[in-house]
Parts: sequence; C-alpha cells; structure tokens
Amino acid sequence: MQNENVKQIGSAGESSSSQTDVAQTDGGSKKSKGKQSSGKQFVVVVFIMAIATKMFILPIYLIQSAGRDGYVVLAITSAVELLFLIITILAMRLSQERDFFTLLTSVFGKIGAKVIVALFALFLFFKINVAATETITFYTDSVFADFDSSIMTIVLLVFLVAVANRTLRALCRLNEIITPIIVIGITGIMTLAIITGTDLANIFPAFQNMGRFMYSLVHNLSWMGDFTPLVLFVGRTEIKKKGTAIAAGASGLIGLALVVFQSLVMCSAFGNVPELVDSSTNISGILQYTVGNVYGRVDMIAFILWSIAAFVETAMFFYAASRCIEFVIGKNAHFAVGLGLGVALFITLIFGLTDPTVFEALMSCYSTSVISPLFTAGIPVLALVCALVIRRKDKHNGNKNKNQNDGDTVENGASRDKESESNAIENGAHNKIQKEAGDGV
Amino acid sequence: MKMEITKNKKLLIIKCLIFLFAIIVAFLPSTVARSSEVNSRIVVEMIGIDGEEGNELTAQYVMPADAKGATQKDKTTVKADTLPEAVELLSTTLGRRADLGQCSVVVVGNVVKPEILGTLMTATAVTADVYLIAADNKAKDCVGDLTDFMKKSGVTDADFIAYAAKKAHVATTTLLNFLSNLGSSSETAFMPIVTVMKEQGGGGGSSGGSSGGGGGGDSQSGGGSEPQPVGMKVDKLALYNGKGRVGELETKAARGVAWVSAPIQRSTFTADIEFDGIKVEDVAAQLIKKSSKITLNKNGKVTVVVNAKLEPFGDRYNRIQRKTDDCSADIIRDGFEKRIKEEIEAAYLDSLGLGCDPLFIGRQFYRYMPDFFNSSYTLGGPSVEFEVNVTLK
Repeated sequence: MQNENVKQIGSAGESSSSQTDVAQTDGGSKKSKGKQSSGKQFVVVVFIMAIATKMFILPIYLIQSAGRDGYVVLAITSAVELLFLIITILAMRLSQERDFFTLLTSVFGKIGAKVIVALFALFLFFKINVAATETITFYTDSVFADFDSSIMTIVLLVFLVAVANRTLRALCRLNEIITPIIVIGITGIMTLAIITGTDLANIFPAFQNMGRFMYSLVHNLSWMGDFTPLVLFVGRTEIKKKGTAIAAGASGLIGLALVVFQSLVMCSAFGNVPELVDSSTNISGILQYTVGNVYGRVDMIAFILWSIAAFVETAMFFYAASRCIEFVIGKNAHFAVGLGLGVALFITLIFGLTDPTVFEALMSCYSTSVISPLFTAGIPVLALVCALVIRRKDKHNGNKNKNQNDGDTVENGASRDKESESNAIENGAHNKIQKEAGDGV
Repeated sequence: MKMEITKNKKLLIIKCLIFLFAIIVAFLPSTVARSSEVNSRIVVEMIGIDGEEGNELTAQYVMPADAKGATQKDKTTVKADTLPEAVELLSTTLGRRADLGQCSVVVVGNVVKPEILGTLMTATAVTADVYLIAADNKAKDCVGDLTDFMKKSGVTDADFIAYAAKKAHVATTTLLNFLSNLGSSSETAFMPIVTVMKEQGGGGGSSGGSSGGGGGGDSQSGGGSEPQPVGMKVDKLALYNGKGRVGELETKAARGVAWVSAPIQRSTFTADIEFDGIKVEDVAAQLIKKSSKITLNKNGKVTVVVNAKLEPFGDRYNRIQRKTDDCSADIIRDGFEKRIKEEIEAAYLDSLGLGCDPLFIGRQFYRYMPDFFNSSYTLGGPSVEFEVNVTLK
C-alpha cells in the first residue's frame, strides 16, 4: 500500500521534474519556496494587462461597428475577462506552489501537457501580433510618420528578445517601476476629460440598433484573452494572503473600468459621427472633444503613457510565448527561442498585419472571435481544475500516509528520518536553483 | 568561477552589441540624422478654407530656421480640385512639408460645405481639437487680415480664440464638436464669426467691418494706403444645418446660445436694473459659474434652465446698493435674470427662423424620448419655457 502511494507521488513528481527543467532558471521547480514575483508586482502586472491593448484600436472598431453602444460591448467582454482573472487568481492560491506547466503535466501527462501548451503558445503568438501591431501602428501613424515601420519593428523585437532572455522577476520589476507613472497619468487625463465638461449624455439613446450591437459583440471577441499570460504566475507568485488576491482582482477591475470609461467617452465624442473615427483620433479623442487647444497637445501625454503600457504588455505576451515554446521543445534556450519567435513575429508583422485592412479582417473574422474567448476561459479553468485535482490527490495521499504512520511507528520514524534527509538535499538543490535564478535576474 | 566570468563577459558583449545596434538604428535613418530637419518643414498655424468643395486653402505659417531669430510668419493661398490635393499643393508651393498637426485655428469661408470639415479631419493631419471660426465672407481675406494683425500685435495663432473660449462670452467650438453637433439629431452647429476691424483712412478711430483687402496669395502685409487691421470682434455666430451655412445670429442671440450650449466662464456682461421707477443702465457683473439643463416632460413640453452665479461690480452696482439697502440683491438678481432670459429667448426664436436648433432641444428629445422624437418631434413643435436662476456672490 505504501509502495503504491510512493509510486503515485513519484509519478507526478517525475513528470513534473522532467518538465520543469525548462523553467529551472525561473525557479519553476515542483514546490518552490522562493518566488519569481511578489504579490505587489502581480497586482501591477494585472493592471497593465487590463489596459494595454484595449485603449487604441479597439475603441475605434467598436465605434465603427456599434456606434454609441460600443462601450457596452467592451463592458461585457471586460466583465467576462474579469471573471476568468478571478479564476486565475483562485488557481494561483490553490496551486500549492506548483507552476502551470507542472500542474498540466501532473494531470494530463507529458504529451497532453505539451499539446495544450503548444496550442496556448500559438494563441499567445496571435496576441503578441495584436499588441505589437497596435504599438507600431501608433508610432507610424502619430509619432514618426516618416520612419520606416520595418526598422521600428526591429527595434521593438530587440526589446522583446531581450525580455525573453530575462526572468519573470525582471519583467515584474519593470512593471513595478513604470505602472505608478501610467496610473497617475491616465487617471489625470481621465479626470481632465471629466472636469472639462465631456458631454457623456451623448451615449443616449442606447440600443437603437440591436442588430448592429450584436454584430459588434460577435466580431470583436478576438480582442479577449489579455489576462491569459498570467497563468505563468501560478506557483511563482507570493499570493498566500487573501488581501493580495483581492488587490489583484481590484487592480484588474480598476484597469478594465478605466478602459471602459475611456471607450465610453470616445463613444460620446464620436457617437454622432462614427464614420469620422480613425486611428489618428483614438485615445486623444477624449481630450479633443472637450479640452480644445487651451491646454496644448495634452493628448500626446496620453499617447506616450499608453504606449509604455502597450510595450510592457507586448513583452509579457512575448515572454509567456517563449516560455511555452521552451516547455514544448523541452529545452532551456531563452535566446534561441526568443530570436526564433522574433523572426516569426517580424514576418507576420511586416508581411501581413501592418496593413490595416489585413489586421481588421483578422480581428473581426469568426475564427479568431471563437478562438480568443476559448483560450480566455479555457486556460484559467484548466489551471484551476488541475490545481484542484492535484490538491485532492495530495489530500488523499496525505490521509493514506497518516493511516500508514499510525500502523508502524518504528518504520515510520526511520522513514521520516530518511524523508527529512532527502528533503534537506532537495531543498539544498532547490536553493541552488533559486540562487541561479536570482543571479540571472 | 571561470565559467561564470566567461558567461558574464558574453552577456556584457551581447548588451554592448544591442546598445550599439539601438544607437545605429536611432541615428542612421535619414529622418533622424538630417541636421537640417527644422529647415525641412513649415508649421501651419492657421488655415482658411474657401470654395464649396474646400479646395482653396490659405495657410498662415511660420517657417522655422536653424538660424537664431530667423522664424517668420507669413501666408499663402493654393487652389486644387479637392481639399487633400490642396494640402499637398501647399507643401509643393512652399517647398517644404507643411505640418498641419500644429494648426490651431481653421477659418471657414461662407460657402464651404460643412461636410468638407469631416474630410479635413480624416484626410489631413489637422487634429480634431482645432478651433473653428467663420469668416464674414472669404476665409482667404480673413486669414490675410489676421496674419497682418498678428504680426503687428504679437498675438500668436490661437491666443485670441482661446481667450474667447475661456474668458469671453463667446460660443466657441472645436472641429470635432462642430461635426458631432451637426451629426446629432438637432442637425445644427455653430461657429463664431471673426470680424477684423480696420483703422479708417487718416488714422484715429477704428470701426468694425467685414474684412477685405489684406488677402492671401502672397507674402505682402498690406502696406501703403491700405487700411491696417487694428483688432477683431467675435460677437456673432454663423449657423449651420444640413444645408450648409444658413445664417447668422446677432450679438444678443449669439450670447443666448453661449448661455446654453457653450462652456463659457469668467465672462463679463451687463444688464439694466430698474427700481423705484429709476433705471440704471449697464450694471456690470462677472460670471463665476454657470450650468444649463434642458428638461422634457411626457407631453413634449420643454424647459430650458440656466443657473448662473454672478459677481456684480462697478460704481453703478454700488449706487444701487446704497439706494436700496436690503432689497438690492433681489433687484439686481431680477435684472440679470431678465437680461439672460431675453438673450436665450432671442437665440431660440432667431435660430428657429433659420431652421436651426443651437440649444439642441431636438437632440435632448432623441436622447431621452427617442420614440417621441421619431414619431412626433418637429423643429419648433414643442412649447419651450425658459427659466433663469441667478445667485449673487
């Protein structure tokens, strides 16, 4: 009986240890005590992920397709995303310090986990393309009109490959530094939009054309899934305190509320003239509608703050995709994978998505509108289910061990000594891994 | 240990290479590396649009130069088949790229179709937050006169209209606001008319009059015996509906529109106050804060409510205070309420005659009673009441 138990635990451990060699420099061991990110860092990452890809092109598509009801579409999809963010946070709390890859391997086995992660990597590649296209479109349209977009893409890729070479901890620190500036800036601009007399009543009357609204809802689902890379934080984040989990949820809620509010203001600004909205009248539309030239080009401040957030979110997707690919190929090759991913991204961007028509077609087609919600819901749910299954297994094994222990104290004492000895060795090895990860940072 | 050093060295080399690459990328492209970047563009501060299709463009521009004090303000006019072509032609004519992103005022000629302004926003680099002003006649003449006046007075591009938006009782509008209003269910929009005042021959006094002379098309600033611009008046409104520019609102009605439909603040205005059979004319007050609201009831009746907080000042106000003791506040308040009400009524009735709704009553019906709007609403159909509540500081 005891042997059976040991075998059971061993099988899970074996598969996990064989899978987590990829994540070793990230400290992704079976049960790691040292974390890659603190709870505070996770909270700020959630905020960035909430705002970055929903503030530039998406409001334009929503206004063009749903008119003054565009913000409702965004509010609905945001509510769904928030729900699955909460599920991700729950998974993090229940994962018992196992990372996402380990959880999947424990439940679905090595092959099953690799298939799931490969599909997830493809989805993340799609999301990198969306985020990168937004950023490049902004810079080519509004900032450096004469600058060659391919050179701009190379600069972006250098940044992304560099990020892929770093650890999650480094990315979190970057977020920690820049998020307060973004929060203060965007909050200030939104406040300015309110106090300068935005005519928010222009969003009325609502739902005058339900057909148009439903069309917009169905065709803009491909923008979902911004929180999916957060599953990489499972088992790597210090989120034991209930307060941290609540703060992360609140951060997502505030971020999404800001995005919906920005969209609402744009809908009220362009609700009467949806045909006039384009990529040059996006985020700054809020201010152009109300402020006038009295305060100068304050819209540029909004643009810059937004673009920083978009950079970081693109990096987050890139990091997550590269780690997923490394898991699938079973090699810990950050630079090579990052470079390969960068080249693939360069090809899709330059030969496809920098053309606005292609990008619009991709974002509004049925297949992406089905795939994105599927991953938005599927990945957090998978993480949660796996965490629950493992938890149950552990509990079950714990009870069995307890019964065994009651039976034979002598044997038990000896085995406990042996176990503590092996734990000490394991901890020592783990500390070494953590140290390496720390050095890498 | 040796391995670690090698690894660190490798990392350092990679970092240096990346940094070097970034520097090369940042400085090699011709747009960045060219030291004469400032000489390659012209900053357009104001444009005037003429012609039904908006195909005649007058630009007031500054030509920056890298030499100290070399910047100069001037104007030019181009004509093409369409507005985007005219913008392109502007660059060709001036020999530099005309940068419209910094343009802060668009002067609209009297025959320009309003939908052209939509093209201006979407097909050119003009931003949505530029102020719109209407010319009495041709925008070309107005831009010419304004350029001459600006050269003389040192006023920069949007100073005067920005002042009107914040400190004067003028209903200003931005490009996006104008188009949004016109695209609303009220189908009405407005912009202030700027009249350049010129000194009469022989010097001395100045008088308002439609801008003439000065005109664009060249770089002359109207010397010789040409009357020189000495100032500008912004007291009338040009009204637009689906048919284009349909008329003007005179000062009183234009002020009424500002009370209801514009974010005015800190403006100064006067009212005649009557008490004990005595009439004190032009008692002055400064607007501290105002708000307006249009309420609808189910029978299709409308109440336009304006709340204003005023601070009376001046010797006439002091005279009334001395003579009336305790009841002075009520008397003054009533006087100002009456004046504001007259202005709003004038705005409503005058614009009704032009087939316009600058108080946006129709839009309010569409927002909150869409069924009534779609089935029964007609311009001037609902009975409208005006309520003005003044509080004195």
